[in-house]
Amino acid sequence: MNPLIELTGVQKVFGAGPGALHAFGPVDMKIEKGEFVSLLGPSGCGKSTLMLMIAGLLEPSGGRIEIDGRIVAGPQTDIGIMFQDNTLVPWRTVRGNIELQLELRGLSPAAHRASVDELLASVHLEDFQRRYPHELSGGMQQRAAFCQALVHQPATMLLDEPLGKLDAMTREAIRTDLQALWIQRHPTVVFVTHSIEEAIQLSTHVAIITPRPGRVERIISVDLPYPRDFEVKSSPQFIGYVRQAQEIFRGYGVL
Amino acid sequence: MSIAFFAAFFLIWEYSIVWFGIPRYILTPPSVVVTKGWADIDRLLYYTWITGVEVVLGYAVAVILALPLGLAIAFSSILRRTIYPFVVCVEMVPKIAFAPLFISWLGFGLLPKVIIVFLVCFFPIVLNAILAFSSLSEELSRFSVSTGANAWRTFVKVRLPAALPQCFVGFKYAAINATVGAAIAEFIGSDQGLGFYIQIVTGNMRPDLAFAGIFFLTILGLALFGLVTLAERLLIPWHISLRRQSH
Ligand SMILES: Nc1ncnc2c1ncn2[C@@H]1O[C@H](COP(=O)(O)OP(=O)(O)OP(=O)(O)O)[C@@H](O)[C@H]1O
Ligand SMILES: [Mg+2]
Repeated sequence: MNPLIELTGVQKVFGAGPGALHAFGPVDMKIEKGEFVSLLGPSGCGKSTLMLMIAGLLEPSGGRIEIDGRIVAGPQTDIGIMFQDNTLVPWRTVRGNIELQLELRGLSPAAHRASVDELLASVHLEDFQRRYPHELSGGMQQRAAFCQALVHQPATMLLDEPLGKLDAMTREAIRTDLQALWIQRHPTVVFVTHSIEEAIQLSTHVAIITPRPGRVERIISVDLPYPRDFEVKSSPQFIGYVRQAQEIFRGYGVL
Repeated sequence: MSIAFFAAFFLIWEYSIVWFGIPRYILTPPSVVVTKGWADIDRLLYYTWITGVEVVLGYAVAVILALPLGLAIAFSSILRRTIYPFVVCVEMVPKIAFAPLFISWLGFGLLPKVIIVFLVCFFPIVLNAILAFSSLSEELSRFSVSTGANAWRTFVKVRLPAALPQCFVGFKYAAINATVGAAIAEFIGSDQGLGFYIQIVTGNMRPDLAFAGIFFLTILGLALFGLVTLAERLLIPWHISLRRQSH
């Protein structure tokens, strides 16, 4: 079977001439359908840049990206993207913001009432669905943005630090929810994070990205049973994977 | 607080005239402004109506023409390179300086005043509309694009509401300009309106009536500004500048 997402020599250089900034690549990488792949790397290594290129929202300076055998030449509309900066609009409530994704796609919010309710409940925002984004804490906004990105039930999800602004406890809870969702529906997930533990807990594969210009030199395949709960996280194998990733980053001089 | 401040202002005005012995033909106390103004109320109200019509017509035409132009310039790179620099240059020209010309071309009637009010309102609205429609955040425009929404749907659901706050900056600025434009146009050449009235009564050494005229001009300006502010409240209650402070 062909990989779902295939990167061949993908790189990105911002600007031209002496001021040019080599942000990312070149990188070759394959992501199979249904995999949960984390992009783990230091700040500024080009993770967000790669996500935007996969989504067709930023053109690579070199190389080629294919999704399902088709070259990505423009915005991909059948995926779910959670951007690093949230895309909640101030003139809509939490629920209205989630419905914005549906409305922009020409889907009827009324027909999706139940799935919006379910999604809101899964991130514990039911009581805040009539509130405006400015009335929410940073973490609550991020949870609302998470719902907004996924309400159309995409089979492929690109999540750029979706849990970045959450407190440790909520973060743990949402991780569990995200994992449950993945176990249940097996979407293909590309997940950006700074947390080694988080990457190893959630992912089938962890792509370790070098400092800028980011390259993928190592991919750790995490062979642990799902669901990966507290028990798995305290197992020697889990700790072994965390060590392995830490060693690699120490080698890059970022740890 | 602000009511007390206004009261203090008028009291000082009233009594300083007595204390410093300022002659009546230079400055009159507010009490006299009220009584003399009341005696001439019919003329004042009629002229307020005349100036009000000029202001509202000029302002409305400015909004109706400036918004689409701002929108077009924001979205068309050709217009951006051709018309936009021209608009910026014209904005630098003091429009009010054209008033004598318009009046010599078009006479003392309504039309030249409406044109001048239109001119002083048009440019701030265009410039703010251009800014409003071309400054959607990169994240939001990427988000819209990633949903596959067509241009119209993106406009209605994202671009327009995102642009409204900046548009209102232009609307409010223009609302402040509008009465100034009308009054000056009337100073230069007219046979009715509050600007005409103020000029005539000042020539007749009647500062009391001049203040009454200024009072009605102020009311007119406040009414227009109030209407625009009300529209803003209704259309963008979510905007940070309008959020109710909850304690
Ligand atoms: N539009 C742009 N123009 C110029 N340089 C850019 C642009 N976008 C990103 N860069 C540069 O590219 C590099 C990679 O940026 P990117 O946002 O992809 O990093 P990241 O890995 O997502 O970092 P973080 O973890 O902090 O979010 C950075 O050095 C950044 O300065
Ligand atoms: Mg990033």
